[in-house]
Amino acid sequence: MSPLSAIPAYASGLTSQIERLPASTETISPTTLPSAQPIDSSSFSSLLGKLVSDVNAQQQTSNQSVSALQGGANVPLHQAVISMEEANVSFQLLVEVRNKLLESYQEIMKMSI
Amino acid sequence: MIQILTGIRNTSAALDAEQVRLDVISQNIANAQTSKDVDGKPYQRKVVVFDTALQNAMSGTDANGNLPAIQVAKVERDNRPPVLQYDPGNPDADAHGFISMPNINIHEEMADLISASRTYEANLAVVKNARSMAMQTLSIGKS
Repeated sequence: MSPLSAIPAYASGLTSQIERLPASTETISPTTLPSAQPIDSSSFSSLLGKLVSDVNAQQQTSNQSVSALQGGANVPLHQAVISMEEANVSFQLLVEVRNKLLESYQEIMKMSI
Repeated sequence: MIQILTGIRNTSAALDAEQVRLDVISQNIANAQTSKDVDGKPYQRKVVVFDTALQNAMSGTDANGNLPAIQVAKVERDNRPPVLQYDPGNPDADAHGFISMPNINIHEEMADLISASRTYEANLAVVKNARSMAMQTLSIGKS
């Protein structure tokens, strides 16, 4: 069980909540708002899910190369370190995306109606 | 798969190649006194020849759009003649008391070693820089 596997469900819950917001605003003043385009609700959450699974795969690759190195396999040291760094940087990207997502969610929640 | 640190594939290939070069230099230094190799002749100095990876060089870029990477083409023998040393006590000496020693100049090997380790260092600096560039880019959103 990977530690990151719970994040897609969490993120899709968040996005579905965000995506529900335009519908509720439309009922308040349907005439002034431009007709909202039907949002492909799967697209963003699937994108995020792909990002999470990519980062997870990279973490696993780096784990494999490090344990292969420790197990005495013929893996060059730099390859293990580079894969660790790649996993680290892509995890940072994931964290940044999550931070932005939460930030915008909270911004919307703070909005006075 | 996301490619965050692009260009690192080439650097990784270069690090691999330099590693092979370091291995060959260490072999040369270790065998500097080997008067009898597996073929019965004195050990011959070995030289690493690099080239760009073949499938990349043909089209300029490979399937993933990466630029050509370096690879070790072959490890060749240095064909300079062996060095004759006068050592009549050595069991490998010929009738005149001369023994053929490997064509290895230890100073040359040390200079090669410096060059290989500096090149390795330069490639590591590229990795470090690519990483810090990515981290700086990720910090755009932070206040």
